[in-house]
Amino acid sequence: MTATRDDWELPISEEQLARLTRDMEAAHRDTLPAMRASAVDLTDDIRSRRAAPADGPRDPGRRRFLLGAGGVAAGLALAACSSNNKKTPASSGKAASTTPSASASASAAGTYTGDLKVVALAVALENQAVGAYQATLAAAKAGKLGKVPPAVATFVTTAMAQHTDHAKAWNAVLTGAGKPAITNVPLSNQPATLAALGKAATVGDVAQLALQLEDQAAQTYLFATYNVTSPAGIATAASIAPVEAMHAAILNFVLGQYPVPADFLPTDKAASPTLLTV
Amino acid sequence: MGGERIDTRLLEELTEQSQDLNSDAVRITAEALGDFTEVTREQSSRRWWQRGGVVAGAAGSAAVLTSLRAVAATSSDDVKALQTAASIENLAISVYQTAAGLPFIKDGNKTVAAFIAKTTTQHQAHAQAFNAAAAQAGGKAQSGPDPKYAAVVKKALPSIKTPADVVALAITLEDVAAQTYTKNVGQVSSTELRKLFASVAPVEAQHRATLLAVQALLAGNLGDLIAIPTNAAKLPAAAGSVGFPDAFYPTKSASPITEGAVK
Repeated sequence: MTATRDDWELPISEEQLARLTRDMEAAHRDTLPAMRASAVDLTDDIRSRRAAPADGPRDPGRRRFLLGAGGVAAGLALAACSSNNKKTPASSGKAASTTPSASASASAAGTYTGDLKVVALAVALENQAVGAYQATLAAAKAGKLGKVPPAVATFVTTAMAQHTDHAKAWNAVLTGAGKPAITNVPLSNQPATLAALGKAATVGDVAQLALQLEDQAAQTYLFATYNVTSPAGIATAASIAPVEAMHAAILNFVLGQYPVPADFLPTDKAASPTLLTV
Repeated sequence: MGGERIDTRLLEELTEQSQDLNSDAVRITAEALGDFTEVTREQSSRRWWQRGGVVAGAAGSAAVLTSLRAVAATSSDDVKALQTAASIENLAISVYQTAAGLPFIKDGNKTVAAFIAKTTTQHQAHAQAFNAAAAQAGGKAQSGPDPKYAAVVKKALPSIKTPADVVALAITLEDVAAQTYTKNVGQVSSTELRKLFASVAPVEAQHRATLLAVQALLAGNLGDLIAIPTNAAKLPAAAGSVGFPDAFYPTKSASPITEGAVK
């Protein structure tokens, strides 16, 4: 049996849809305890590193000491190291193409340093995605995007919920380390993102923008896996990158593009920590 | 699965774009593997204080720092993880190649057939990368399949009668690959290997996302919507979310690093 809503016939039954949604929610909830544990590990990592005497012996098990000792080195590495292609992350990405100001870089270096700078960048990117999807829902509700396909509506609400979970997890790390949580979007490319959202007139427009944000997020997490120092941070970034990539795959499919465009996830669209304005 | 609605010209263009992206990604990975080889060679010829001298001489060069972090870290566990990854890729290649020859795939939905062909080449690229890294770390290349999941495939093959059966098996293999590599990112001991595993895991996750969407469409008798471009307006609501069931990619079913290691 299929359900009819207005003039459009839902091609699967409400029962099937409800079952699929329940399964998805259950799977989603199953992952949260592990994520919370990982966030606690990451906070402990950062606390223990800060508590250690600056000139004292370091835990040899923390093999990433070169970046950890530097404090800002992770940020520098993120900014300077993009394999061998000599590109700064986000230097060519449309969604992150705004050149950061010197003052923004300086203030970012002051509040969040080392791994916490990468965590702050992650929160900001997640908040940016959540905000973009919220704006999409508002525009759809106001009828500004025309008729929104049901698949796009469920995509937006589900992806937004997952980005919210990512932001919560990263913010728990920040507050656990004694830093303020980030509840807004302190990125220098945010005005350009908002402007692009404001101009969006169709579902395709917002889907294209969402794809840029998802690509940016996935690639930033990939970059983080080999530039943060904390094992828990590495594991957390590794567990989120595939999810953002999956969002991108479905968006590509909806947009009529091949869903798995690259053999290896690249980093040319990764966001640079220099985008941070806090 | 009777969907024949496909714009072949567009598919060719998309394939060409995909090949361009692929070439870039392969180049980047080759460079990463080159870095890995270089630092592995340095490991045998430099003592730690000499490496420190290099760091001092290249102050500010994050690329050098991160490369050197990899030096002392290459281990037999790394080689095992790489061989196990290659074994998972080998099995996936074998399954997709077998599937491509089945009548209901070969003569069925053209987009599904194209996806299988493209995905096969992507797994071949992954297998090559893992085996190259294993060899560069002093290990042997793994040419065989993962034994645990080879048994699963062997058991499943006789019951495969429809495209949905193929898709279900492929989802299992893609998920194991994605979970294993996600976990490997935190297990391997060098920056370059983290980068390698972390760049492959999301691609396997994308395969899975696509297959989950295809599975949902097949289950809803909507095979005609398995097309590029599809008719987004007609996609069922579930197609928008079924492809990414987890907020954080799980690793509880990840294969241990020894599972596909060369004996």
